[in-house]
Amino acid sequence: MIDQSWEPKIVAFLCHWCSYAGADLAGVSRMQYPPNIRVIRVPCSGAINPLYILKALREGADGVLVSGCHPGDCHYISGNFYARRKFFLLNELLKWVGVEEDRVHFSWVSASEGQKFSEVVTQVVDSIKPLGPARKLVKEFVVNV
Amino acid sequence: MFEEMLRDLTKKLLREKTADCVIGYAPGRLPFQTEPIIATSENELNHLAWNPFCGYNLARYLKYYKNVNQKIALLVKGCDARSVQVLLNEEQIPRERLFLIGLPCRGLISPEKLIKNYPNSSPNDFLWNEQGFFYRSQKIELYPFLEDTCQRCRYPNPPLYDFLIGEPITISNYQIGKKDYLEPLDKLSPEERWNYFYREMSKCIRCYACRNACPLCYCQECFVESTKPQWVSPAATPSDNFLFHLGRTMHMAGRCVECGACERACPVSIPIALLPLKMEAIIREEFQFESGVEKEALAPLLTYRENDPGDFIK
Repeated sequence: MIDQSWEPKIVAFLCHWCSYAGADLAGVSRMQYPPNIRVIRVPCSGAINPLYILKALREGADGVLVSGCHPGDCHYISGNFYARRKFFLLNELLKWVGVEEDRVHFSWVSASEGQKFSEVVTQVVDSIKPLGPARKLVKEFVVNV
Repeated sequence: MFEEMLRDLTKKLLREKTADCVIGYAPGRLPFQTEPIIATSENELNHLAWNPFCGYNLARYLKYYKNVNQKIALLVKGCDARSVQVLLNEEQIPRERLFLIGLPCRGLISPEKLIKNYPNSSPNDFLWNEQGFFYRSQKIELYPFLEDTCQRCRYPNPPLYDFLIGEPITISNYQIGKKDYLEPLDKLSPEERWNYFYREMSKCIRCYACRNACPLCYCQECFVESTKPQWVSPAATPSDNFLFHLGRTMHMAGRCVECGACERACPVSIPIALLPLKMEAIIREEFQFESGVEKEALAPLLTYRENDPGDFIK
């Protein structure tokens, strides 16, 4: 049974040019979305090392959201195209080793999509809540092998 | 015969100064074992060996010659030649400084599998020559005793060489056995796969032998040794082990040549190669790419297509 009062902690990597501005727009427009995300601003989704995501999970994040500009809209021309390949492979790998599919989310949110940002965050939180607190890949302080 | 050819050729290379050193195999101290040698004089080459126990990927040593202006004669099997090609593509060593001696390879024999099948035998019961592998003068079928990675080998012949010892092999082990090691795992549920990998990763003692045996792990500072930021704790807990292997797999994505050097180096017999292998299978399917086969090919993570798979992104 999952504790109903439990709230997931979600790390959100948002690109500076689109998703971070999108989140800002959601804020200044007073759109409501769950307060479970902790935002980390990155220059570009292409600058997100897969290790960032793995490390977030290891440090105990219940979920990770990665968001960048729509394909074709990258401030650095092609950063998100490279990112898409990296994320695709990481996503497939995590799925294959058995990490729950809904732990790690990816989205494209532009600077004008405040509404979409709040919807994405709501969706992400809704899909992570039924999974309960993360246990896979989380650093264990007592080793029971 | 092949060993004689090899010794004559390498001696000639040293004598004519085509190469300053020869990186090859010598018999090990134990039966069914070989060790790498780096020979600079002709008499060291009298012991040069070529047999189904030459497991090391010698391309591993090229990284030490990046800034040493020496010409190297290197023995390469199919998989080793592919890793040399990746190193060339990544500009880790100039082609002019390499003399590649190609060795068509039928696969490496796993001593563990031999011992398991012939429990009451001594190493002297086994004999190997160009005609085949013999147990008490009876010829035995090699395939069941090959290393896991060799049973699924697609490239028995080096795609890149300057001189080929012997005749190219016409049929690969993959075509003979049709073995797919990923299939049984693919059939499991994600939870079962997690349990399987968690159990395997718990065995890891983080000696980094897999990384050190890998011909393509040449970073000056590996992410596991970085302390600022510290990606992975040095403590060998299952989660940290898992993170190390996942990180390694991401670094090998689209570069791994499936030689299995990491798996053979593992002192606690974790099937480490499964993760990079799965990665290469995905890349073959989605990006139609195989590493180390083509000259000057761009690794899949260094390029993109506008219609790459993107359904997983909301």
